[in-house]
Amino acid sequence: MNLLAPSTHLLLVILMPLVGAGIIWLVGGRGVDAVRRCAVTTAVLTLLAAGWLVLRYLGSDEAAAGQPYGMVSVPWLTGGMFDIRLSIGLDGLSLWLFGLSALLSLTAILVSWEAITERVVGFYVLLLVLETAMLGVFAARDIILFYVFFEFTLVPLFFLIGIWGHDERRRAAVTFFIYTLAGSVLAFLGLVTIVLWNASHTGSVTFDIDLLTAGLAAHPLPMDAEGGYLQWLVFAALLVGFAVKVPIVPFHTWLPLAHVEAPTGGSVDLAGVLLKIGIYGFLRFSLPMLPDATAAFAPWLFALGAIGIVYGALVALVQQDLKRLIAYSSVSHMGYIVMGLFALEPVAVEGANLQLINHGLSSAGLFALVGMLYERFHTRSISSLGGVATRAPWLTVLFILFTFSSIGLPGLNGFVGEFMILAGSFQRAWTGVASSLEQQYLLFAALGVIGVVLGAWYMLWAVERVFFGASRLPPSHQTDAHAESLDLRWHELAALAPLAVFALWIGLTPNTFLQPPAETVRRLTRPASIAFADLMQPAGHRPSDNQTLTTEHPAALQPAATLATLPPSASTTP
Amino acid sequence: MTTSFETFLLLAPELVLILAALVAFLASAFAGLRAGWLVAILGLGLALMISGDQPTAGAAVSSGPVTLDGFSAFMRMLIYTGGLVLCLVQAGDRFRAAVQTDSGGVHRHGSGEEAGTFLILLAGLSLVGLANDLVLLFVGLELVSIPTYILLSLKRSDAAGQEASLKYFYLSLIASALFLYAVVCLYGLGGSTSLAAIGSQLRSLGTTPVATTVVGTITPSMAAVLLPVTLGMALAGAAFRMAAVPMHFYAPDVYQGTSPGNAAVLSTLPKIAGVVVLARLVALAIPPLGNGQPVGPVAETFLAELWHLVAVVAAITMTVGNCMALMQTNLRRLLACSSIAHAGYLLVGIAAAAAASSSASSLGGNSLTAASASLDGLGATLFYLATYLAATIGIFGGLTYLGHRWPEWSATSQDRPPLEEIETIDDLNGLASTNPVVALSLAVFLLSLAGIPPFPGFWGKLSLVTSALGIDSGAAVFGDRQSWFIGLTVVLVLNAAIAAGYYLRLITAMYFKTTDKGTQADGGLSAGLAMVVCLVVVLSFSLRPRGLFTSASEAGSTLTGTLVTDVADTMPGPDEPIDLTMQASLEEF
Repeated sequence: MNLLAPSTHLLLVILMPLVGAGIIWLVGGRGVDAVRRCAVTTAVLTLLAAGWLVLRYLGSDEAAAGQPYGMVSVPWLTGGMFDIRLSIGLDGLSLWLFGLSALLSLTAILVSWEAITERVVGFYVLLLVLETAMLGVFAARDIILFYVFFEFTLVPLFFLIGIWGHDERRRAAVTFFIYTLAGSVLAFLGLVTIVLWNASHTGSVTFDIDLLTAGLAAHPLPMDAEGGYLQWLVFAALLVGFAVKVPIVPFHTWLPLAHVEAPTGGSVDLAGVLLKIGIYGFLRFSLPMLPDATAAFAPWLFALGAIGIVYGALVALVQQDLKRLIAYSSVSHMGYIVMGLFALEPVAVEGANLQLINHGLSSAGLFALVGMLYERFHTRSISSLGGVATRAPWLTVLFILFTFSSIGLPGLNGFVGEFMILAGSFQRAWTGVASSLEQQYLLFAALGVIGVVLGAWYMLWAVERVFFGASRLPPSHQTDAHAESLDLRWHELAALAPLAVFALWIGLTPNTFLQPPAETVRRLTRPASIAFADLMQPAGHRPSDNQTLTTEHPAALQPAATLATLPPSASTTP
Repeated sequence: MTTSFETFLLLAPELVLILAALVAFLASAFAGLRAGWLVAILGLGLALMISGDQPTAGAAVSSGPVTLDGFSAFMRMLIYTGGLVLCLVQAGDRFRAAVQTDSGGVHRHGSGEEAGTFLILLAGLSLVGLANDLVLLFVGLELVSIPTYILLSLKRSDAAGQEASLKYFYLSLIASALFLYAVVCLYGLGGSTSLAAIGSQLRSLGTTPVATTVVGTITPSMAAVLLPVTLGMALAGAAFRMAAVPMHFYAPDVYQGTSPGNAAVLSTLPKIAGVVVLARLVALAIPPLGNGQPVGPVAETFLAELWHLVAVVAAITMTVGNCMALMQTNLRRLLACSSIAHAGYLLVGIAAAAAASSSASSLGGNSLTAASASLDGLGATLFYLATYLAATIGIFGGLTYLGHRWPEWSATSQDRPPLEEIETIDDLNGLASTNPVVALSLAVFLLSLAGIPPFPGFWGKLSLVTSALGIDSGAAVFGDRQSWFIGLTVVLVLNAAIAAGYYLRLITAMYFKTTDKGTQADGGLSAGLAMVVCLVVVLSFSLRPRGLFTSASEAGSTLTGTLVTDVADTMPGPDEPIDLTMQASLEEF
């Protein structure tokens, strides 16, 4: 076996955290320091290996051809109806999320350096197991393997929240687990139905995601009464599972609780990576496999996304707890991504795909910083903090950087994603919908813009109250005895610096990050885009082939990966 | 039908068990109380060896009232391996409630009588799996029930124990009587006690004008009256053993009123019996493989009524069991309700098997079965049963090993109070710090029962869901049956989510709460060993579910007559590049 073959490399990256977890278990008796060092070493090695793999992918032939890279496919549960395989590979859609998982796992471990003092071995073992699950979910090319990882991420996080969380941790852990499970079991039914439909109609039993995509394109699930509205049902089932995970308002109620009660490391992984799995699921399954139902549901989900933006922002505005505020800002930001995704406009979908990474970086950074504030001042209440900037300048600088990234300041990563999403949404509203829907689409796209303003308001207001003004610190911190120890320590800086670097990098040269997934994302979106265009045409002149579509929607087929090639301002093309 | 020497050869493992039981009864009188379990384990090992030598593959071997086919061979393996682990659990069951009663009941833990009775129970259960005759089937079922009464009353002599054994005794009698009614009806239908003859008669009813048997002339209209009664009664008998609604209500009381070791037996072995009865019932209407006999309208009605009935019972059972479990605070009551819920899951597979075997022309209505991709429901049930057994025996093994704990106690003042029974969920608090291995094992078993991947319970639920959703999945027109089974799977997965609620409560108690209680685990080491064995089994099934799955689906298919084709042989291997045609078809967009 060639250790440097892409497939082995990918397998090694996924298994490395698991091996590290095993080693930690063994060295657990040698003291806390050994455990921490071992965990950090594992995470760093995994990150380096993953980074190298990403670079190799970018230079590979498969990337150019839009094929999965580093495919491994080993039979797992085969026989009878089943051909479930341990099948993994990277493609454009999973590339950055895979890298993000490796990056944020290191962050999660570093920010827990001093925060976790009890049952340290278990904590790092679970964090590393969670890392394997997260890497696996994005690399899985088998529909059941995807579900296995998807579901298994719950288990380590359940324990992380329940054991190392804050006061209400037990309720938070159970709520989080049950809520997510209830959604995902329905998604599971949808996935099984897809497999069975494909097996019945193409005659070959397969669980391979790519083959299923092709099979469902050739034999789409029925949308009519005769076929039992099966495509609607399957879409609805997947929607429930993924919407809880995202979360789309009104399925978000588990999120603030889980975030507030989770230890910082858990919050970082939860906000940074796990919320992305829902969107990833939509892009991987719903859009390419169920295009007609996606198109039919799209206006509703577009609206829900926009409502989520404003709702999340308004609720964030009145929060007293800084961590809860960031949690609601996550709800708001995921609203953008949902809106961009279901605009079904290539620019917006690519923006949404990039925004996954952006939100992963900024929310993980903010949660990590809130955790650091809590370690120093033992409070997350905005009203009892104040004037932190004078005590911890570097912490403040980074907090402001991630705040700006989160609210979409030009030059930082958040701007690129939000701009593309809003531009695509307006483009869809002006040019791509039936006239009866135009008002509605415009209204919701406008709500998205209002959300940007609200986002700046609640974030900057919170920054102002926490970091500037008179110090309202608790009495025990009023003395200057610990003044020098309040700023970032080396491990905290190491946890945050990579996130900051990427936030700047994406902001300054977005094309570097937009280009690799562009082809895959467009290919996965195209069926739904076409179905939506079909739906929007009045009956009688529906464009049923690509030619018609090309003339009417140049953006649907042309690369939209660069800001320079964005379609002309929508206001000039009504 | 004659009973020949060959019959006894086929029954050699069961005979060995009965002999071992007799030795165990005697041995305990001379060689000490623990010797009985040693004999039991040796006897079981011998029986396993003998049954391993018997032909299992290929055509069924029938002799007299006994038939050894793939199905009964699989059940026998399941019963004996499960029985071996249960032996370890039972041997370690040192339940002390009797000592503390005022009546001065003497606790005789792990006595030879228990070992012998348990062996007879296993032999009876194995006979149920082998029975090709109504009489032997009924006798086998009674041979399961009667030792259970004895085990229940031997273990615990206080009021709760007496309540449990009496309750089980009377209700079991009623269930047996109901089942006997079904047996009589089947005899009336088929004119024979042989299951093969009844099946053949059932299938030909309606295709030939009038059927005459020893009991007289059977017309399809008479059959139409008999069928619902037969099915209802048979289902009632099976439901009691599986603890399914409406015969479920004894379970919480009985589990609570007995020891964890007995609860392990109650929650597993009768369930196997119930599944076997239902599987044999489904198989009645299906012609043996290669027989070519047409299936008449009466058999079609039989299957259609069966799957409607079983599907309804399954949905109600899952929901009732899980909702009851959410309200429990007593540990064994909770596990009893969980056992009820799992009976419901098992029934889903039975319903799917019956529906898949009936063609679409019956009550299902207008759907056309084209190329349905369907997993055999019976195979799925057997697979699920095996994963359920591993996790459940493991849980009760762990609880038996824990036995009792020291009560909360401060070292300052007085002597330690006596040990107290682990009774409520709160008694598990802080187990992760006091008994980490037990806590971890229990957590794995509970996650498996909850159906969290990659634990075996998930693979079981996956196969159940696949078999149910596969009904008519190739139909050109969406039919009634499809909506029935989609509804059933939705109920199933929602129940899985509800169930996670109470399984997580146990994990929460063990891992997220703290305790002052002592760490003493006074159960026998053998129960701990059983728990570890189950843990190993569960973990290995998590990573490699394939072997068990293949044998379970082969066993199921010997009854339902579907051919198992191994798709792995036709799929491209790991080294071959993936199909590039899908790339091409994607480029067409």
